[in-house]
Amino acid sequence: MTGLRHGCAAACAPLLATLAMTLTANGAAAATPAPTPVATPAPTPNPHAGEAWWVPVGLRGQRITTVVASGDRIIAVAGGTRYTSIDGGATFTATAQAPRPSASCSLAALTGGSPTSPPDAEVAAGRDHWSLCAGRVLHADGPYPDAVPKIDLGSPNLGAGARLIAASAASPTVVVAISDDNTVWRRSGRGDWNRVLVLLPQNLVQGAPTVTAVTAFDQPLTDTIYLATDGYSVLISRDSGDDWIRAGPGLPDSVLALTSDSRAQAVYAGTGDGIWVHHLQPIPAAPAYLPDDLKWRQWGTALVTLLGSVAALVLLRRLVSAPPP
Amino acid sequence: MHIAALRPMPLRRPPVAALLAAAFALGIALLVPRAFSDPVSVDPFDIRLAMPSLALVAASVIWAPLTRCRAVLLGVAGIAVPFSLWAAMPRLMTLVFADRYSFNQRVFAADTAYMLATAAICVAATTLLPARSRPALRLRSISPLALGVAVAGTALLILAAFAIPAQLLGREGIEPAALGRDMPWLAPAYVLQAAAQEVQFRGLLLGALERDLPPWAANLGQASLFGVAHIAVQYEGPAGPFVPVTVVLGLVLGYITQRTRSLWPAIVIHAVLEVGVAVVILDGLYGQ
Repeated sequence: MTGLRHGCAAACAPLLATLAMTLTANGAAAATPAPTPVATPAPTPNPHAGEAWWVPVGLRGQRITTVVASGDRIIAVAGGTRYTSIDGGATFTATAQAPRPSASCSLAALTGGSPTSPPDAEVAAGRDHWSLCAGRVLHADGPYPDAVPKIDLGSPNLGAGARLIAASAASPTVVVAISDDNTVWRRSGRGDWNRVLVLLPQNLVQGAPTVTAVTAFDQPLTDTIYLATDGYSVLISRDSGDDWIRAGPGLPDSVLALTSDSRAQAVYAGTGDGIWVHHLQPIPAAPAYLPDDLKWRQWGTALVTLLGSVAALVLLRRLVSAPPP
Repeated sequence: MHIAALRPMPLRRPPVAALLAAAFALGIALLVPRAFSDPVSVDPFDIRLAMPSLALVAASVIWAPLTRCRAVLLGVAGIAVPFSLWAAMPRLMTLVFADRYSFNQRVFAADTAYMLATAAICVAATTLLPARSRPALRLRSISPLALGVAVAGTALLILAAFAIPAQLLGREGIEPAALGRDMPWLAPAYVLQAAAQEVQFRGLLLGALERDLPPWAANLGQASLFGVAHIAVQYEGPAGPFVPVTVVLGLVLGYITQRTRSLWPAIVIHAVLEVGVAVVILDGLYGQ
């Protein structure tokens, strides 16, 4: 389930373990560390076409600080309580939240291959495994601790508090990571690192919102990167981090958790007002007409333009030449 | 009711009649096709805006009673025709040069063509129109007052941009990598675009309207058309709320132009606004 671990390795670890166990116990798809690439889905009609970009799932009114999902199973944390749903969010059951581990990563131990020092955050994209430890970005050819990670050459020091990293299986060498000063960094496919997004203050009084999560699909469904903020809702990038689009219509401004689920082809957002879901769908675009369909629309437009012009000339003539009262 | 009451009120001021008729024609051409199609796909170059405006100019040349409308109608054509050229330019370049030029270079070429077409119409207006109806472009005047207003206006604009909640404007972040890629072409393109629009609205149109109308009415006329014209630019997205904002912006820039007797403060403020929008406003799902 490494794909669910973007940026919440410490906080989400108990949830991920629970999710992995329950999925396996129920005979659902096993939560394996290394995702198996699947073929791009055939161009079948999108069952979510026409659906709103974000749709509420449940726990409205709750401040969701963590969410993970796989298929119909969704686990969320709100106010120290863990909520589990096995029916896609229709119903949730509450249990006490287990205490979170607080140990931080030791770079020397991790790069030395010590299994007692898990990374601060880890993400898998195809065969590439990317992790964060003590502010540095590490790369390995397999999951930890089977493969020993090495510091990615040219990567910046993101600060000891850096916990957010994502890589899309569709572009496994492109990585997006958030420094602890809230700057979004991107590793391009060529291996160079650049700042790609700096959030601006909300107004003259409030500062910039915090980036709370970053995620991408762990199967090659799309190379979109999803970024959650506590103030600017969700932003997405469809070109490996160069350009960002505001993609939170309908969603509360405060998004505190974000997770992608390749099985459901969905992204779940934990917000200040419950859990919301976005199903993969194309960006809204102007309709494309068939040539015949286009032709009569063009004639119609030309006719309207002609009639409008004639009417305007008649109006102008009457306005200018009408005798005074 | 007496039949005379149904007759149109005579307008002793032909420029007002010209502006109303042009707005009527452009409004119908712009909005009615939306009832049965998406005009972005059907008429991507907005030819339906250029054609009526040229037809009205031609009528004012042919028909003597419309002579006094000609300056305003030429001003409206000076807005619509360059806009069609601007919309068509990137696609024309792709047709002629295939992928030789990047998207940013095509935008720069489009805005250069936009400026050149505007300049050509300015030349036509200042040479072909009778002296008494030539619009005052106010391009030769740069006073200390104009410079001060340009600086103060720019500072106020930046302050306002950060005072208004970011979500309302989409002013949410700066993309350093994208800016480094785009701005060498887009920044000069947006400066040209802003300058062209100022020449069109606060130069040609305001200058023409002022010949027959009091300053406040001339300013209101150009600002109204400036606001409504933004529907043509932005109607892919939720353009409605932006129209009052652009009307107010048009009024402010028109007032500045009238008070300073120079077009340059409006050009500077508008250029900073255009470049600032490109720098700090993130696109939405439906475009900007």
